[in-house]
Amino acid sequence: MKKLFVALLCLFAVKSARAQKDLLSFDEHNKYIYYQVVEQPGLITDTFQNRALYFLKINYPKNKIDKSESPAVITGTGKLLMLSGLSVAKHIDGEINYTFNIEYKDQKYRYWLTNFIFTPYKIDRYGNSVPEPGVDIPLEDGASKLEKAQAGSYLDQTGKYSKAFGEKLKQYMLMISAAPVKVDKKKVISTKDW
Amino acid sequence: MKKKFLLLLLAASAFSFTSKAQDTVKTTADAPLVLYGSVDTYYKDDFSGHSNIPTSFASDNNSVSIGMFDLGLKKTVGNASFVGEISFGPRGQEQSLPDGGDYHIQNLYVSYNLTSKLNATAGYMSTFIGYEVISPASNFNYSTSYLFTNGPFQNAGFKLTYTFSDKVSLMAGIFNDEWNAYTSQHDVSTFGAQLTITPVKNWTAYLNVATGPTSGTEFDLTTAYQITSAFKLGLNAASFTPPHYGGGFDGVALYPQLAVSKVVTIGLREEYFKAKTEDELSTYVLAGPLPGGSVLGSTLTANIKAGPLTFIPEVRLDNVNKQQYSTFTNSSLAPTTSASQFVLAAVYAF
Repeated sequence: MKKLFVALLCLFAVKSARAQKDLLSFDEHNKYIYYQVVEQPGLITDTFQNRALYFLKINYPKNKIDKSESPAVITGTGKLLMLSGLSVAKHIDGEINYTFNIEYKDQKYRYWLTNFIFTPYKIDRYGNSVPEPGVDIPLEDGASKLEKAQAGSYLDQTGKYSKAFGEKLKQYMLMISAAPVKVDKKKVISTKDW
Repeated sequence: MKKKFLLLLLAASAFSFTSKAQDTVKTTADAPLVLYGSVDTYYKDDFSGHSNIPTSFASDNNSVSIGMFDLGLKKTVGNASFVGEISFGPRGQEQSLPDGGDYHIQNLYVSYNLTSKLNATAGYMSTFIGYEVISPASNFNYSTSYLFTNGPFQNAGFKLTYTFSDKVSLMAGIFNDEWNAYTSQHDVSTFGAQLTITPVKNWTAYLNVATGPTSGTEFDLTTAYQITSAFKLGLNAASFTPPHYGGGFDGVALYPQLAVSKVVTIGLREEYFKAKTEDELSTYVLAGPLPGGSVLGSTLTANIKAGPLTFIPEVRLDNVNKQQYSTFTNSSLAPTTSASQFVLAAVYAF
């Protein structure tokens, strides 16, 4: 029993310590990047594009998509909030703006999120959390410009977010049809006719 | 017993992992219940040996005193939001709020996005007028300006805000007849409007007006420009006229601030404030020089950050233009035109 107890404790410790920030790597410009290449046999460029656009429209409606000359690339920007505090009541520390890039060619696609810039929030007179103007901290500079715990937490949250972005994208790329799933019409029972 | 303990441990861990998983993706500001607030304390030494400067807060002389404990909760679900903010302590009660006791509300309102560009808000909320606010966590200087002290702190009412673009928005609303009151005296007759302009990135200007037959009329310009990552310049200019018998004030305050290191920012508040002349019948009272006089207030402040804690050492010198308009007294209690003080405050914001 004691061994089981120790094993369980070790398991929890390992799980807790597993940091999502390890999901982020550095690119050739020394910037954090979440980069994945996914093989998707049987799909052509047009299908990839339709599904990627539909994925963005449904899941990230506030993301801005750049106008692109190439039909094989979608680029744009988005943002995510950095939270801290208790699980029941959070504090919004700031936001991270990022750029995303989705590219595809026959049979495979790749995507990456990079250029993560942290902007701290302040509380305004109405209690709203609003960005502090003029304060933009690249995540790579977090170690020198943020508290150590803060920088670690933001990397962790960004890693989780990026991973979730990729997993959702994969789901949409696998969809048989990019059209919204039709919900069966609710069956209504009339009590007037019997 | 051990099995029960292990089961409990497993259940707690599973719950913990589940909670974490649900926190994985936050793409909008509306996901969590957000908690915020501040706690502040200060020591003031007026060089005359007694309090002279009549502006709000930091009022106790030669005393380690408390400001307020401020606690806010807010939540957004879809297009609907609420903010509830309550405060305890001299700064958040009798020194700033109506009634002085039973309620300690800083903000209590609900809002709804009618469209992506149009928002409706109703309740009791911090005023849209002016540069400074009650919360010490949102001000750079710990002591406050004459413009702040003599302007509105809060307004209860209903307002609509329309966002034309990233650079222009307009708020218009109808508010209770009196400022700083949870309920109206007679009616809801103060009209308020705010035009917000962002000419360039990091520069925002607010043109404000509040006018009503009971509350009087105030025109206000508030602007702040983060010119570089280290240098910020703020400006507040306002003119107030009470509803009857003249009086009121005109004033302007400049707020240059320079970040000299990662944790230290130094700022100056240079304020000119003039009390307008008034009729004998006037019952209007302002905090500042006597009617017809003016005061020049110079406040040099540092903000020293230690995580969420900010230390605020501050030196202030106020000078009234003529003896006849001054209410200041020196250490012998003889009338004088100038007053000076040192304040050391600590503000913890979360």
